[in-house]
Amino acid sequence: MWGFYFNELLHSLPFFLKGLWMTVAVSGLSLIAGSVIGFVCGIIRASGNKILRFIIGAWVDLIRGTPFLVQIFIIFFILPSAGIELEAFPAAVIALTNLTASFICEIVAGGILAVPSGQREAATASGLSAYQQLRYIILPQAMRTIMPPLVGQYVLLVKDSSVVSAIGVVDITRVGWLTVQRIPEGLMVFGLVGLLYFVICYPLINLSNFLERRMAVTSTRL
Amino acid sequence: MISFRNVNKWFGELHVLREINLEVAKGEVVVVCGPSGSGKSTLIRCINRLEPIQKGELVVDDMDVHDKKINMTKIRAEIGFIFQSFNLYPHMTALENVTIAPIRVRKIPKEEAGKLGRETLTRVGLGERIKSYPAQLSGGQQQRVAIARGLCMRPKIMLFDEPTSALDPEMINEVLDVMRDLAKEGMTMMVVTHEMGFAREVANRVVFMDDGKIIEVAPPNDFFTNPQTDRGKFFLSSILKH
Amino acid sequence: MLETFNFRVIWEYMPLYLKCFQATLWLSAVSLLGAILVGIIACAMRLSQSRVISRIAGIYIESIRSTPLLAQLYFFYFGLPSLGLMLPEWVTGVIALTLNSGAYYAEIIRAGIQAIPYGQIEAGISSGLSYFQRMRYIILPQALGMTIRPMLGQAIVLVKDSSLLSLISIAELTRAGQLLTSDRFMPAEGFLTTAAFYLIIYYMLKGFSTWSEKRLIFREAH
Repeated sequence: MWGFYFNELLHSLPFFLKGLWMTVAVSGLSLIAGSVIGFVCGIIRASGNKILRFIIGAWVDLIRGTPFLVQIFIIFFILPSAGIELEAFPAAVIALTNLTASFICEIVAGGILAVPSGQREAATASGLSAYQQLRYIILPQAMRTIMPPLVGQYVLLVKDSSVVSAIGVVDITRVGWLTVQRIPEGLMVFGLVGLLYFVICYPLINLSNFLERRMAVTSTRL
Repeated sequence: MISFRNVNKWFGELHVLREINLEVAKGEVVVVCGPSGSGKSTLIRCINRLEPIQKGELVVDDMDVHDKKINMTKIRAEIGFIFQSFNLYPHMTALENVTIAPIRVRKIPKEEAGKLGRETLTRVGLGERIKSYPAQLSGGQQQRVAIARGLCMRPKIMLFDEPTSALDPEMINEVLDVMRDLAKEGMTMMVVTHEMGFAREVANRVVFMDDGKIIEVAPPNDFFTNPQTDRGKFFLSSILKH
Repeated sequence: MLETFNFRVIWEYMPLYLKCFQATLWLSAVSLLGAILVGIIACAMRLSQSRVISRIAGIYIESIRSTPLLAQLYFFYFGLPSLGLMLPEWVTGVIALTLNSGAYYAEIIRAGIQAIPYGQIEAGISSGLSYFQRMRYIILPQALGMTIRPMLGQAIVLVKDSSLLSLISIAELTRAGQLLTSDRFMPAEGFLTTAAFYLIIYYMLKGFSTWSEKRLIFREAH
């Protein structure tokens, strides 16, 4: 019986690869959009005016304080009642972008605040504009603190993308869920699902660890 | 009490202890000195097997401490070890620091250990600070707590690894005073230190090391006034300059 | 959207929400205790002298961290029955949450342990404390102090992750929102109320985290 199901599973492999592609597409789009928004918000949170800082802080708390599943339900089911009709795919990308941006915002703000204030003072003293300070002095130093958790956040993004299967996006997890109805070998089917995620996430985790070690080395060299 | 017989140790390729032969008698105080990197800290760290040796024999209190079959925990309980950086447990008060091993290793009842701890801390001049955490104590006070921690096990031997090197100058004496008292009471001690005044006054013998070898062993007066080797002369002149 | 927000329906469903809020609380609490226990064991194994034991723990930790919780949940939900193990849904849910967070706790504890200076271990060795005594009295208490924040952070993640249990029909907070939505077609009322309950837990844990940080400050001065 096991062998029979294994064969069946092999035949569904193209279906799984389609799911893999969907996972990559949803995560990739959200990664780019989330990073851009996250960096902008992070820079504002670390420097900008009080009101903006407060608004961003409240937004971050709302996103951090609620499960992603609830967020995606809110976006998918409530926006239509406000007159914005959304397909599952764009709803998934919007929800994931929103989630990723809020976490990256915190990472970026933390990285900027970790740069010693003397650096900013020195840059001000030598007459650099606020933008120049950020661009040439603050961000390059902050990036060293930002990079490892940023890559870690991308791993979380790929994993969180599995939740979009709940609104019917046919990603790897959804493919597994559909397949297990036909091939009732849960360990085998979701073993394969896990393996596909592993293939994406494991290298990213190692990259994050590598960056962390490298950062530890460069900062002791200073 | 402690005898090194042809002891050799390597760190990878680096030969850090070469053919060490040394006997320390009961009640003797031996000061180990030498330039940094000469292997003096490694020498005493081998005694309670914080470092393993690769060749030779090291016998403490009639037991070969580098015998794999031996119960090292028991031997270590008989040897107090004082670190350069104190290594007090930051999450425990001074009293907890000194009583944890008596309670857990010696299985002394808590109250009795508490009494012993208070007495010992009083003996090193810290009777008032038993409830303080390490972060609330000065360096000199922390090192005295560390010595009390060693003494609470009623050890047969006390080893000191540069006990005053991490201290501000004004705190060195309060620690050396405690060590002087210990020596007077007949404790067997090996002390790695640059405090030559202390060596002259307290030590029975001075061991001078360089490059992993014991170069000279002599009573302190002989060594300080008339070193037998060039390396010894050079070392003395370099530390006596300041 | 907001002008038509129906508080009466929420009030009507409040008993259900409170029951489900309780369910979320105790499912999370049980999983949290289990996860910390699993984390301590996995971490001790990871740091073991034996290569084999360390490797086993490593494989467990890496495979959990490289795959999404939802895939793990389905792995157990669909997989255990095919092994002949018929467990109630909530048990499956608690197993998945425990094993998932356990891997993260193992890493958090390991980071805490490795941040302890080696001199602490040497001091313990020198006074004749055994391996377990050193762990119990010297290493773990300090590691716990240093890791209280990431531990509470992971607890927040765990509470939010428990929302995925709604996808295997366990009656908890998110499930309550789904029920209200499908009974009355009121997704806004359903999921915003759910979100509000999660925020209560989030702010409580966050507050506790800040408070404990302040209490531990003087010990860290070391």
